Amino acid sequence: MHKATALLHHHSSSKEVSLEVIEQEKHFVAQFADGSHTQLPVDRLKEDPQNKQLGGSSRGLNVTDFDLLKTLGTGTFARVWLVRLKNPAEEDRDKFFALKVLRKVDVIKLKQVDHVNHERSVLADVAGYPFITTLITSFSDHDSLYMLLDYCPGGEVFTYLRKAKRFDETAARFYAAEIVVILEFLHEREGVAYRDLKPENLLLDADGHIKLVDFGFAKKIGNRETYTLCGTPEYLAPEVIQSKGHTTAVDWWALGILIYEFLTGYPPFWNQNPIEIYKQIVSKPVHFPDSPSISPEAKDIIRQFCTVNRSHRLGNMAGRAESVKAHPFFHGVNWDDVYYRKHRGPIIPPLRHKGDATCFDDYPDDKAHRDAYTHDLQRKWDNHFKDF
Amino acid sequence: MPPQTPSLSNIYTDAINSLTQEVLKEQPRDIIQYCANYFNKQLEIERTRSLYQSTISTAAMASSTFPGRMGTNANPFGSGLDSGSNIGITKVAEEDENDTITSPTTPSFGFKGNSTFGDFGGDGAGGPPSSWKAPSGDGFPAHYGMGRRTSVSAESLNPTASLNENWSPPFHQKTEDQLARLKRSISTNFLFSHLDDEQSNQVLGALVEKPIPAKGIKVITQGDQGDFFYVVEKGIFEVFKNNSGVLQPGADGLGMKVATIESGGSFGELALMYGAPRAATVVSTEASSTLWALDRITFRRILMDSTFQRRRLYESFLEEVPLLFTLDKYERSKVADALDTQKYPAGTTMIKEGDAGEAFYLLESGECEAYKAGKEEPVMYYKKGDYFGELALLNDAPRAASVISKTEVKVATLGKDGFQRLLGPVESIMRRTKYETGVEDIDPLTK
Repeated sequence: MHKATALLHHHSSSKEVSLEVIEQEKHFVAQFADGSHTQLPVDRLKEDPQNKQLGGSSRGLNVTDFDLLKTLGTGTFARVWLVRLKNPAEEDRDKFFALKVLRKVDVIKLKQVDHVNHERSVLADVAGYPFITTLITSFSDHDSLYMLLDYCPGGEVFTYLRKAKRFDETAARFYAAEIVVILEFLHEREGVAYRDLKPENLLLDADGHIKLVDFGFAKKIGNRETYTLCGTPEYLAPEVIQSKGHTTAVDWWALGILIYEFLTGYPPFWNQNPIEIYKQIVSKPVHFPDSPSISPEAKDIIRQFCTVNRSHRLGNMAGRAESVKAHPFFHGVNWDDVYYRKHRGPIIPPLRHKGDATCFDDYPDDKAHRDAYTHDLQRKWDNHFKDF
Repeated sequence: MPPQTPSLSNIYTDAINSLTQEVLKEQPRDIIQYCANYFNKQLEIERTRSLYQSTISTAAMASSTFPGRMGTNANPFGSGLDSGSNIGITKVAEEDENDTITSPTTPSFGFKGNSTFGDFGGDGAGGPPSSWKAPSGDGFPAHYGMGRRTSVSAESLNPTASLNENWSPPFHQKTEDQLARLKRSISTNFLFSHLDDEQSNQVLGALVEKPIPAKGIKVITQGDQGDFFYVVEKGIFEVFKNNSGVLQPGADGLGMKVATIESGGSFGELALMYGAPRAATVVSTEASSTLWALDRITFRRILMDSTFQRRRLYESFLEEVPLLFTLDKYERSKVADALDTQKYPAGTTMIKEGDAGEAFYLLESGECEAYKAGKEEPVMYYKKGDYFGELALLNDAPRAASVISKTEVKVATLGKDGFQRLLGPVESIMRRTKYETGVEDIDPLTK
């Protein structure tokens, strides 16, 4: 066990790794299949010896060590697969993972090299935190980068929200509270801005708790501001649109949009034309529909999050996340219970077995045509991917 | 593994077979009309049924690498930029945008893309996804797309100063008239309206003239990746949209004419945010027209560099203020973030002796002097980097002197309520560590 983990921290481009090492790594990986269910308080997560082993670069693992079972999600340069170890030991037969595959050539073409490296390093830093997808290990081959993550079988909150049309305030509060805890952790412990909060990036685990996935835009910024425009149009904060430099405060803005969308079924600023969305975001106050009726507390917290001037934005003022927790919308919430997941979620995914992927939508196969990762590209860029 | 969707030919055969049965049963007189009605009705039923079962991502509709809102974009100026060429002879004037500069993106692990709603744990609804619009009348916005939303991202940029590089924005000389017109054109645009004078001047200077020598030149081409924003200086341009989302070959390939842009108008602003496919094609209608062009990287760099420099400047100013020594880095950066920049002409009384103190000032540029009643000569002189009025953050004591600007000045200012909003009650901040000099001893006008 110890031997295996020591090896996992050393990246080697050479594939001359003994079978024994690979077997050790497989064994190591298998123990994390079900994600983290730690009961450690948040300030002691890093002490957990198991957590320390997570997020390293693998020495010998290869995509061929896994069976790729089903696509769980796609992006322009990434695809996430439900996978299982190939030829699993009897006790590992039921252990499933999510394998995120990024094609180097697409990452380069789309200028996402920095973002991909931020993603890997932030995920490695937070591995073991119960509400965030766990990076178990990463590896690469000639064409692609791989991140092996725990499998969160419940599917996206997005899917449930669209199907239910909207959530009641109890359900919205449950998810919002878990997100407050996540943002408190990311901002105040890790100095990380997440930058892509939306229902599509929230998965449910078997008990209906949230796991935040897709750290493609997450970045460790500490107290500083950052400048690269990224996010999802409906969820972009005004300061991002206007290139004013942005901070972790963008996530609180997005949480306001998210709660609105939970309660109404659609985001507050919308138009078919993205430019019109952006104009609304920078200039219009949030408007609430007559129906469904939304409580004054919910309206207030949404308005306070969606405050254009971030020096007046809830979550970004004195007290930070603590002041969010104290807002009347969360009245009665026991925040320790939230962190320790004392209560099951309002939606329990109907799962029949561990590798059940029916909560995920179906995705079409890969495009046939792919650009090649040429020798020139490799010479120029492979050094940028050395952390994988 | 991918779902087993019925092949197109099966759907087709089934549909035709049921139609045939219906026709045989009903024996309609107007066959064509009957068939048309039949399919319309089938369509309605099918769409209603799939309402809660399926959704389509906008990604599926875009042919480009950037699955944006192509095809649903109502505003021809909304989407990105540019380039491409169809008309050989006019190619000179068409932009040679470099695709590698820009990066639209759809990130990563987002479970984005085309999707079908699974039941809550059921086996997933089969069938092809249909373009699902939320029912209007249920409070949903008209045409609201219920699909997964694609993330967007610009190329990552780092402030010049942090890279120890030397970059200054390009500068293209313009006449007074041209500048005034350009200013008018962009001043109300939400991407420019918040710029300060310095940023605004740099942006105006960076706009580069693009002569369009002939009629019929496609300045931007629908579906192409966009990197430039344009202002019309001279000439009239027409905007066309093809419903496919992309310019098509052939005579009708441009699609419908949806707008005309004249002198002073502008288009392509989305390209200043990130690279996205152009939502329309814009064509010149006159010989010798002129445009001003601005690319995204230049625009964003101007804004980023000036914001970055100002932030660092404020932070270094704040480090010098003894009253704020007890703040940690996070708190100081919060204060720097909240500072409000203001300009005053020479001779402005910014602080009046005897008034209750409300705000604290950092002098960013220019000079000020402090006067006390009954004294002719100024008692204090302030220059760039100096500060005054900071005791207002602590208490309501009346101002001990007046401060008057000697030249035009630029100040960064923060009020007491802002300070408390960001950092909590002042008393608790002061209690943390003993304020070295002793607050009571400080005359706000000495340092």
